Amino acid sequence: MQLRFSEKRIRILSGIFQTTKKEHIFTFVKGGGVYMNRTQAPEIKLIESVSLPQFQLLHLDNGVPVYVINEGEQEVVKLELMYKAGKWFEEKNLVSDFTNRMLREGTAKHNAKAIADKFDFYGANINTGAGFETAGVTLYSLTKQIDHLLELLLEIFTESTFPEREFETIVTNKKQKLAVELKKNEYLANRNFVNALYGQNHPYGRVTEFEHYDQMTTADLKAFFKKYYHPANLTIILSGKFDEQLIKKINQFFGAKGNGGEKASENITHNIEPAKELIQHVEKADSVQSAVVLGNISINKKHPDFLKLSVLNTVFGGYFGSRLMGNIREEKGYTYGIYSSFVSYPHGGFIEIASEVGKEVREATLNEIKYEINQLRNEPIGDEELQIVKNYMSGRILRSIDGPMKFSETLKGLILYNQDVSYIQQLLKTVREVGSEELRELANKYLDYDKMYKITVG
Amino acid sequence: MIKFEQFELSNGLNVIVHEDPTTTMAVVNVLYKVGSRDETAEQTGFAHLFEHFMFEGSVNIPEFDTPLQNAAGENNAFTSNDITNYYDILPANNLETAFWLESDRMLSLAFEQESLTTQKNVVMEEFKEHYINQPYGDVWHKMSALAYKVHPYQWPVIGKDLSHIEQVELPSARSFFFKYYRPNNAVLVVAGNVKTAEVKALAEKWFGEIPAGEKIVRNLPKEPAQTEARTEDVKADVPVNAIYKAYKMCSRTDADYHATDLLRDILSTGDSSRLYQELVKEKKIFSSIGAYITETVDEGLFMIEGKLSEGVTMEVADAAIENALEEIKAELISEEEMIKVKNKIEAYMVFGETNILNRAMNLAYFEMLGNPDDVNHEIEKYTTLTREKLQQIAAKVFRKENSNTIRYFSNN
Repeated sequence: MQLRFSEKRIRILSGIFQTTKKEHIFTFVKGGGVYMNRTQAPEIKLIESVSLPQFQLLHLDNGVPVYVINEGEQEVVKLELMYKAGKWFEEKNLVSDFTNRMLREGTAKHNAKAIADKFDFYGANINTGAGFETAGVTLYSLTKQIDHLLELLLEIFTESTFPEREFETIVTNKKQKLAVELKKNEYLANRNFVNALYGQNHPYGRVTEFEHYDQMTTADLKAFFKKYYHPANLTIILSGKFDEQLIKKINQFFGAKGNGGEKASENITHNIEPAKELIQHVEKADSVQSAVVLGNISINKKHPDFLKLSVLNTVFGGYFGSRLMGNIREEKGYTYGIYSSFVSYPHGGFIEIASEVGKEVREATLNEIKYEINQLRNEPIGDEELQIVKNYMSGRILRSIDGPMKFSETLKGLILYNQDVSYIQQLLKTVREVGSEELRELANKYLDYDKMYKITVG
Repeated sequence: MIKFEQFELSNGLNVIVHEDPTTTMAVVNVLYKVGSRDETAEQTGFAHLFEHFMFEGSVNIPEFDTPLQNAAGENNAFTSNDITNYYDILPANNLETAFWLESDRMLSLAFEQESLTTQKNVVMEEFKEHYINQPYGDVWHKMSALAYKVHPYQWPVIGKDLSHIEQVELPSARSFFFKYYRPNNAVLVVAGNVKTAEVKALAEKWFGEIPAGEKIVRNLPKEPAQTEARTEDVKADVPVNAIYKAYKMCSRTDADYHATDLLRDILSTGDSSRLYQELVKEKKIFSSIGAYITETVDEGLFMIEGKLSEGVTMEVADAAIENALEEIKAELISEEEMIKVKNKIEAYMVFGETNILNRAMNLAYFEMLGNPDDVNHEIEKYTTLTREKLQQIAAKVFRKENSNTIRYFSNN
């Protein structure tokens, strides 16, 4: 019930694009002693290059890589520990997630409450989270407090006990949460969509049913923990403002030799079992809106076309000024927001177009999406529109490296794909150089309405 | 510590500059002192709809966003009960573009019928997405109306009813704009890789000639002290029973505000907090529970909300929350717990300062409250609090007759 603010936009943080410029009246206002023409935009400067923030790549005594970004003004530390222990590696649904979630729930020396008490006492926040590839913990602490916390942080990765009582509480509460989520059209549409693309036997498509919670045991978690949470699978990103001593201390706790297990296998594969039907609708009599998700499997960040494709996507539905927004929100008023993205994971990717629209305009929305796809396939993007997207994206690149906290997120995204930071400069170069004819070719290669799954709920 | 300089233009526009040479970006934040509390009961949701309208073109510029994106910028806005806040983030060397755009929409809007119609539709879809087509989505509407009987906080920012948004016409948009969107009712903060002298010149150039408006005098009805507990039962198609409790609390500028906020932390910040440990982990009465405060300029609400575990009755759940509150009143908080919440709030505030946009918004917000420099004294207002003070505030706030409870039953 966090409804204190009502925001104009939620998903996408930018403006409005109109295909036809309205007529406007010239008015001259006296300002600062000179007559100004307010219809004339001030001159803008383009972003031609970016200088990347400084960082270091070090290795602990046991070989664990540590990326260090020591910049900024505030005396804070963000310490992120990523293990190759994501959903990709689990053999039973939920095991990766719960192994990670249970790290806060008890060690040989501290129970769940004692762990929470200690991190909270020193003002720290500890976030656990499992993704498809990696899972881990991020510790946010004032620099002056972090010395108190490193020992306990190590402990949860080496001595977690997965107590039954805490496990049961969390399972029960997660089941309730799922029951609430299943009432949301947006949640249902997303889950039906990924399931249609990849099928239940693939981590990117697997959806959770209530019985999956009962099929998982703490024995599964302990086995997964043992197999994946060890230094051979660990990467650390340390950012904030601190002195060199902190790196030594991290080495002292996380650099110990001799407890290394085997690296997570690079050879695990999963079968994709796509749904036969491209069109799926779940009717909800009492809904006033329908959730709409369209898309198909596509390329990921490792593919050479991906950078250029990100420009095409921005034009299509990747920012507030996109064609989908301009048409379906700003012209038609069918929705509060619509976006498209090429979702990239280390082992695959897909395009997704998503919105929640008035129920009575669901079909009309699909037709407009189709129209916008065909426009991109048939007509080259106009120079002015493309230039705006290029400028906007250059700004986005600049923001993605502004300040140590932001840069650490961007760096994490690169590490997941074994990409070098020069990727950021490459992206800027691509954004600056890509031409409209190339983009039209890409649209023909990667955007095909007829091949997309169309999942609607509501 | 956020360093800043401040000056005022002759039309009353308050300007604050925060120089930060470590970033390549600049933030331009414009806060207008108008929110949903300034609406009439017949035209709720207007301030927020108007916020949408502000992007639909100004007197000399056909629309707002494209030129900003062209200058490599990004922007957004939000409306609360008390304020409407607009911000632009762009490379510092394109700063003037933001001045051009923000000043033109303060000068006057395009006021086009077509764009008003579209934004009404967009906002109605926003309303549906968040408040109708959502489990428990209507609870904030119900709680506002239960807790406030005369003050305009009795309707939520999005508006009381879809029809209010549908009925908005251009003339009311025009008079709203010329009353509230005037330089003397706004705060402009410019932060980032900028120089005060440069900002001064740009502010004079672009904003200097915008005429001042009337002085805003608010005569909002004061919500009378609540004298008896209020309860409302709701039945809806939701999977799980839930309970929402709101206690009247002081305003954001009241001397008791920080103590009340720390009570919230005692109850629900972090996994070690009381409500989570006692009611979720130990007694398993709730599957999730949390507390927060509305932080409003007029008297606000201290909210507690929880989803009940299966098999737990509403009476047991309600009593469990009340017990937790009684404990704070009856027993002095331990030294250790007090240090903990002070450490938590300090870390929270220092982390908040890592973000340049946050710093800019905070300066604007504290200027609106009375003094931008107060932002630099917030931490000490928390760290100097005593345990006795918290106990005293708990006794004042957590009274049955000061409570508003919504019992949300699943009809499954």
